Amino acid sequence: MNGGRLLYWLKDFWSEFRKVKSGLVGLAFLLLFLLSVVLEPLLIPFPETNKRWSDITYWDENPRSAPPFWTNWFTGKKSAVTERIRSFKAEERQSDGVTLRNLTFPYEDSFEYPPYDLIVHFSGKGSVPFLVALQRPDGEALELIRAQADLTEGEDFHVSVDKEARDAVMEYVRSKESEEAMSRLNRSALVPTEMIFAEAGPGMAAKPIALKGNYRVIVTLMILPDAEVKDPFLVVSGRVSGILGTDSSKRDIWSGIVAGVKWALLIGLLTAFVSVSVGVVYGIMSAYLGGWKDSLMQRIFELFISVPLLPILIVMSAVFKPSIWTIIVMMCAFFWVRPVKTVRSMALQIKEETYIEASRALGAGSGRIIFRHMVPLLIPYAFAVMALDVPSAVVYEATVSLIGLGDATIVTWGQILRGALTGGAVLGGLWWWVVPPGIMIALMGMTFAFVGFAMDKILHPKLRTR
Amino acid sequence: MYRQYLVKRILYGIVMYVILIFVFSLLFNATSEQTARSQIEEEVRLVGASLVNPTTEQVTRITEERRTELYRMYHLDRSLLERVFYRTWDTLTLRFGNSTIIKSSRGDREVGKIILEVIPRSLILFTTAVFCQLLIGLFLGLKKAQRAGGLLDRTTSVATMVVYGMPSWWLGMIMIMFLVYGIPLFPSGGLHSSPPPSGFLYTLDLFYHMALPLLTLLLIGSWGLSLLTRNIVLGVLQEDYIMAARARGLPERNVLFGHTLRTSAPPITTIAILSLLGSVSGNILFEGIFSWPGMGNLYWVAVEQNDVPVLMGLLSITTGLYICGLVLLDLIYGFLDPRIKVGGKA
Repeated sequence: MNGGRLLYWLKDFWSEFRKVKSGLVGLAFLLLFLLSVVLEPLLIPFPETNKRWSDITYWDENPRSAPPFWTNWFTGKKSAVTERIRSFKAEERQSDGVTLRNLTFPYEDSFEYPPYDLIVHFSGKGSVPFLVALQRPDGEALELIRAQADLTEGEDFHVSVDKEARDAVMEYVRSKESEEAMSRLNRSALVPTEMIFAEAGPGMAAKPIALKGNYRVIVTLMILPDAEVKDPFLVVSGRVSGILGTDSSKRDIWSGIVAGVKWALLIGLLTAFVSVSVGVVYGIMSAYLGGWKDSLMQRIFELFISVPLLPILIVMSAVFKPSIWTIIVMMCAFFWVRPVKTVRSMALQIKEETYIEASRALGAGSGRIIFRHMVPLLIPYAFAVMALDVPSAVVYEATVSLIGLGDATIVTWGQILRGALTGGAVLGGLWWWVVPPGIMIALMGMTFAFVGFAMDKILHPKLRTR
Repeated sequence: MYRQYLVKRILYGIVMYVILIFVFSLLFNATSEQTARSQIEEEVRLVGASLVNPTTEQVTRITEERRTELYRMYHLDRSLLERVFYRTWDTLTLRFGNSTIIKSSRGDREVGKIILEVIPRSLILFTTAVFCQLLIGLFLGLKKAQRAGGLLDRTTSVATMVVYGMPSWWLGMIMIMFLVYGIPLFPSGGLHSSPPPSGFLYTLDLFYHMALPLLTLLLIGSWGLSLLTRNIVLGVLQEDYIMAARARGLPERNVLFGHTLRTSAPPITTIAILSLLGSVSGNILFEGIFSWPGMGNLYWVAVEQNDVPVLMGLLSITTGLYICGLVLLDLIYGFLDPRIKVGGKA
């Protein structure tokens, strides 16, 4: 098949394909998936998701098991949303070579449930004494943290109000509360952010009522001549977080889902392509060679279809502890049998065509006949099988991951679901952790099923009407 | 003729099984032997510890003796090929050895007994599911074929594609989350309540526990079956003899159930049994989600405990069941399709 003919064939195929609506829907979804792979860096808020998915420290700033931010739309009492505040007002004052820099981060709190934590970030070099204070809408200002940051070049420094400001907040509450309420307050049970975002006054320790309004987080840095401070920002760790919430290890699920798209596509497409190619060539060879070679090849084929696929994959994974590439190889080793039977029967018909006989009379070898004259005829069928194989490869990988035998170094939807199962998401009703990965697996399955069935319809026009 | 075919097919299945077990033994030889060796060391150590007032020499001699004896018993003193052959033979005669951790409900550590205990539980769930799937699938498929391109046909076809790549265990997780913990309609899992009720209530309790897994399997499985039935029936409906039957003025019911379904029976049976086999092979993890104590759950536990003998035993038994299914499929096919029955050509 030369270039011109291929182009003609593609045009022909497209004009047929265009008529099947479900196929177009599938194609649109496929393009969306591909687009999300290309745009991954823009789509995910956590750029190191791929490298540090299982690194707990990377996710430390997120709240634990927080629902998605849009759940606020459906509830009467709003919860604080996780956000990063990068806009601030800077003021500087020089005295004796020491720079005093005041950074004011505005934060508008309009939620019934205050955030879990406020985390101040900056980087630079040298030792920098600093002070974190909060200016409340009722005019009160409280000093939360007073400490010294030892900065090293290229490393991020952060300080958390929840962890560091406990004593300061305790003092603040003591100044407002009655003696009796204080005696009932347990230091370790105190949630600092609940107090500092609450209406001041007696009763705040037992039952804090959110004080809405404009807050200002003021960070004062004392920069010595040899020290330097860069990119400060404030992270507000809310009760609801991100597009799809967080899991019990504080990971952002949206980032994981988007990062999983490329693995699903890779696993599905690679497995489908390799195994179907092998299967088609195997089927044609079996049919064309005939005789004892055909019998032998058929026996080997039957041996492979007698193996239950998932059990052998599980046992092999349990014994060999595979990486994602070996999982793909293992799947290919058992997936190739799928098209063989149909291909062989189709090839048996093609084999009897006169042009095959003619080219044999011209002295063409079996290799040439198989690859030049028989394979091209079966390519449309091969594509249909390929499209339908993609979802099963994705599901098998997810299943192997679910039982804990997958490649734990990458982020696949199966790995996320494994986390959900072991992390008690089902029991705890963390639906935003369980539903999206499965929806994505199903969606990918649907995409390829649409494309595959559309191709099937074109190839077997008989099934269109009664 | 059919008997000849039957004998031939069964023998062929057995040969297939033997070859596969041999391949498995070869493939997993290293791991199996490692487990066997550590089990022997454990036993030898116990023998050494049980001696009363032993001298060092005595201990070494007796443990050494015991070790060689056990090595001989497990054929570990032979060459690689011999060892593989012995392992194959042991597996074929259902002697899988002892598990490392897992015990059966009676406390047995023999892998064979552990597995035999769980097989019926898996079978009851999956055969019920496939039976229901078949009924629903056949009914829906016929309805779809009757009005191909109609509303029902199109909506159910979309449903087929929606669930096409949906893992059954994921749907199970969702069902449990919403229908067990969200709205407590169903039990969270297991075979029966504890303590299990007796008599008729026991059966009722079993069905109550089976309801949710069954519902999940039906939601996933019925659509595909109905689409395949539709396609097969549609193919048959275009045959000339159907047109002839219609031309004769036979009622549509007769045409559909008498003429069409009879011809469609072999391929539909194939699909039904293949889907049963598929659910044995593909849905095994599904049991783990529902804590249904069948084979799938045992796979799950064996993987988590890294119990190699149990895994090997499970694999060979699953393969055996799978091959039985394939043989059965061919036999039924041969029975339903007169061309094969008379021709005697497999």
